Amino acid sequence: MQNSDVITHDVIVVGAGLAGTWAAMTAAENGVKDVAVLSKIHPLRSHSGAAQGGIAAVLNNVRPVAGTGPRGPLEQIPPGDDPVDSFDLHMFDTIKGSDWLGDQDAIEIMVKDAPDVVIQYEHMGCVFSRTKDGRINQRRFGGHSAPRANFSADRTGHVLLHTIHEQALFHNVKFYSEWYVMDLIIEDNITRGVVAINVLTGDIKMLRAKAVMFGTGGYGQAFKVTSNAYANTGDGVALAYNAGAPLMDMEFVQFHPTGLYRHGFLMTEACRGEGGYLINKLGERFMKKYAPDKMELAPRDLVSRSEQIEINEGRGVMEDGQGIYLDMRHLGREKIMSRLPEVRDLAIAFAHVDPIEDPVPIQPTAHYSMGGIPTTVDGEVLANANGDLITGFYAAGEVSCVSVHGANRLGTNSLLEASVFGRRAGRAIAEFVKGGAKLHPVPGDPAEKNRKMVQQLFDNDGTELVEDIVQDLKTTMTNKVGIFRDEEGLKSALDEIHNLQERFKNIRVMDKSKRFNTNLSMTLEASHLLTFSELIAAGALNRQESRGAHSRTDFPKRDDESWLKHTMAHKDEDGRPKFSYKGVTIYWDRFPPQERKY
Amino acid sequence: MSNNDIQRTVTVRIQRFNPDVDKKPHMQDYQVKMWPGMTILDALHEIKTHQDGSVTYRRSCRHGICGSCAMHINGRNTLACKTPIINEVQKNDTVTIGPLPYLPVIKDMVVDRTSFWEQYLRVKPWLLPPNDIPEKEFRMSQEEVDALHDAEACIMCGACYSSCAVIGLNKKYLGPHALLKAFLRVLDPRDTAPAERLEIVSQADGVARCHTIFNCIDACPKGLNPTQAIETLRKLAQKRQKYEEARRERQKHLNEPIPS
Repeated sequence: MQNSDVITHDVIVVGAGLAGTWAAMTAAENGVKDVAVLSKIHPLRSHSGAAQGGIAAVLNNVRPVAGTGPRGPLEQIPPGDDPVDSFDLHMFDTIKGSDWLGDQDAIEIMVKDAPDVVIQYEHMGCVFSRTKDGRINQRRFGGHSAPRANFSADRTGHVLLHTIHEQALFHNVKFYSEWYVMDLIIEDNITRGVVAINVLTGDIKMLRAKAVMFGTGGYGQAFKVTSNAYANTGDGVALAYNAGAPLMDMEFVQFHPTGLYRHGFLMTEACRGEGGYLINKLGERFMKKYAPDKMELAPRDLVSRSEQIEINEGRGVMEDGQGIYLDMRHLGREKIMSRLPEVRDLAIAFAHVDPIEDPVPIQPTAHYSMGGIPTTVDGEVLANANGDLITGFYAAGEVSCVSVHGANRLGTNSLLEASVFGRRAGRAIAEFVKGGAKLHPVPGDPAEKNRKMVQQLFDNDGTELVEDIVQDLKTTMTNKVGIFRDEEGLKSALDEIHNLQERFKNIRVMDKSKRFNTNLSMTLEASHLLTFSELIAAGALNRQESRGAHSRTDFPKRDDESWLKHTMAHKDEDGRPKFSYKGVTIYWDRFPPQERKY
Repeated sequence: MSNNDIQRTVTVRIQRFNPDVDKKPHMQDYQVKMWPGMTILDALHEIKTHQDGSVTYRRSCRHGICGSCAMHINGRNTLACKTPIINEVQKNDTVTIGPLPYLPVIKDMVVDRTSFWEQYLRVKPWLLPPNDIPEKEFRMSQEEVDALHDAEACIMCGACYSSCAVIGLNKKYLGPHALLKAFLRVLDPRDTAPAERLEIVSQADGVARCHTIFNCIDACPKGLNPTQAIETLRKLAQKRQKYEEARRERQKHLNEPIPS
């Protein structure tokens, strides 16, 4: 290998959202001098910044006003008064939200680390909304039984992302902006580094490191209607899988109840947290049929299913009947302007509707990937269901599966998870590096192998356009691997995905230039979509039960006897997935499985 | 507007430039069939994925929060994702799109933002908090938070920067985005270094360079007001020692409840 082609760092983090940047900043803060972050887009463009509603933590800053019921106003808790929230309550809500598939040891750690991580954000300069006496303000969120969503108006992710990025810069983390990682090199279960393309120049380089950490985000782009950014193509899960790492619980994909109609991006759950209603064509608050107690603030899987039933039974709104109304008019101008200004702006810009005056059309939208790369609570990646580790490989945030969200994530637990486990991974990486971790030799010439792969793509000159394959995949995933699933649909989805994988061999890349070739990166991204979509569909076909976001109409009940376990997908020698299963960590004395009702 | 009108085909005229092969930029026309709700970004996606994969631009979130897709649309800087194409179709059924002005072009709509990020770093965007860190959060009033709104809501898209006539002449000028970030830190009651920051912004290429032409306000896709922030910094810079003393006084009470 030519030395000039190789870049070396102690630590390479891939992805510059909250999880990756926390890991990088924390490793640097803990004494690792040479930390680099690679991101295919500028770090401040990362999708963590799109999160709106809040970050969960038991701070006990506010409580419901006595006697006003579950949707009444909130007030700050006077000094000395009893708290309304507790770690146990946050744990229970998260476990119930996960439909008991979340690992309770990991959930306990997340919940107990939460107040400290939120306070650290505040001390680093994050601008939170405030109570009258100047504490961080909190709001209600779906599936949470106390107000614990700490927020900054409706741009919480944005302020968190900017804050942590600034701190990483302060700690001299080196950022490679617009470097697209295309290969992860693991040999003999030891991580060697990554291969990445410098998007600006088109040069492909080997980057060696003692530790590689993935914070690359989720995989919502496999679906037709999604809240996710163009960038959320599941690169991290696909690269890890191709490098031999297992993926866990990939069949669990969250559909958020309030994507803007046709566009799919979010009208934050805070719209309902602040008191907004969901209304069908008949003007009914239909959630009373599905979750009489929690109503609109039931967890996302349940609300999305309820909306889809209303739509399927002909009670949807808009010309095609595929919409539902999100009604915020009764919140009043002042509350909408102060608490939901970004959402109002989006509704006006994209739907030509001012939520102060009119209900906003919404629909369920693919939002969050519960599944991902399995890790320990310190971000170390598991090699198999036995709990063996891959040396030097770490992951946190949406790309990972600790698992704290199990079969369904609660709102505001994702910013929390990315922060808590990004920080923990950063500490673990610092210990690993300072404990004498080595730079291991790289077998062969992976950079050259990837250069040849790109040249082959350019030379291929087939007849298929990448976008046609992607659109067909999205249609299949939405129609057959979406909110409701059954055996027939999943089998035909798998056939279609295999067919699309074949068609992909006949693609034509239109732009063959070296400089800033986003046509090439979109092609590589499409190959990742095809890789992990197969695992979602196959995992969903295997799992003959309904749990959280995975709803089988042919197996409508949860089946703890057979399926209280995590799915692990490995790539076998023929390139096809093979499955094994891993037990769920449950505190049987404290949070045993119960029926899940809201 | 009738359905026919919305679904008609329009010309998207794109400024093309790849310095590796082109001597200078040229315009290229593409035909796009509109659909209801289509944005400029949707039109670019349609062109890139079905007509010409070499058309190059940055994008990610699709809803105006990531700041990737600022470009020059019909002579105005804005976000492609937040701009409905129907609003931009001119009398000749054409929309004209190019890169942000005043910045070196990397390829088509992708510009070199090196100077933009350098200026961001020059103002030291991170908070410099007090040494005495409390167990819980610093106390701030909602009014103090509201005063930071414009600076905190900024998405660093660069639409303001590349509309600023001063930037056009002088890349050493800090620019509206960096000054807005400086404003965020200077006004934050938790920051310990307002005088040092005000010193930085009152150097030769700082606030004095702003000619209050207000282009930045017109360009901002988030409706923010960098000019006002610059004006505030200019005033505070004149009494920075006093301002710093007031800050120290305020910080004595950062761990105490805001009085009602």
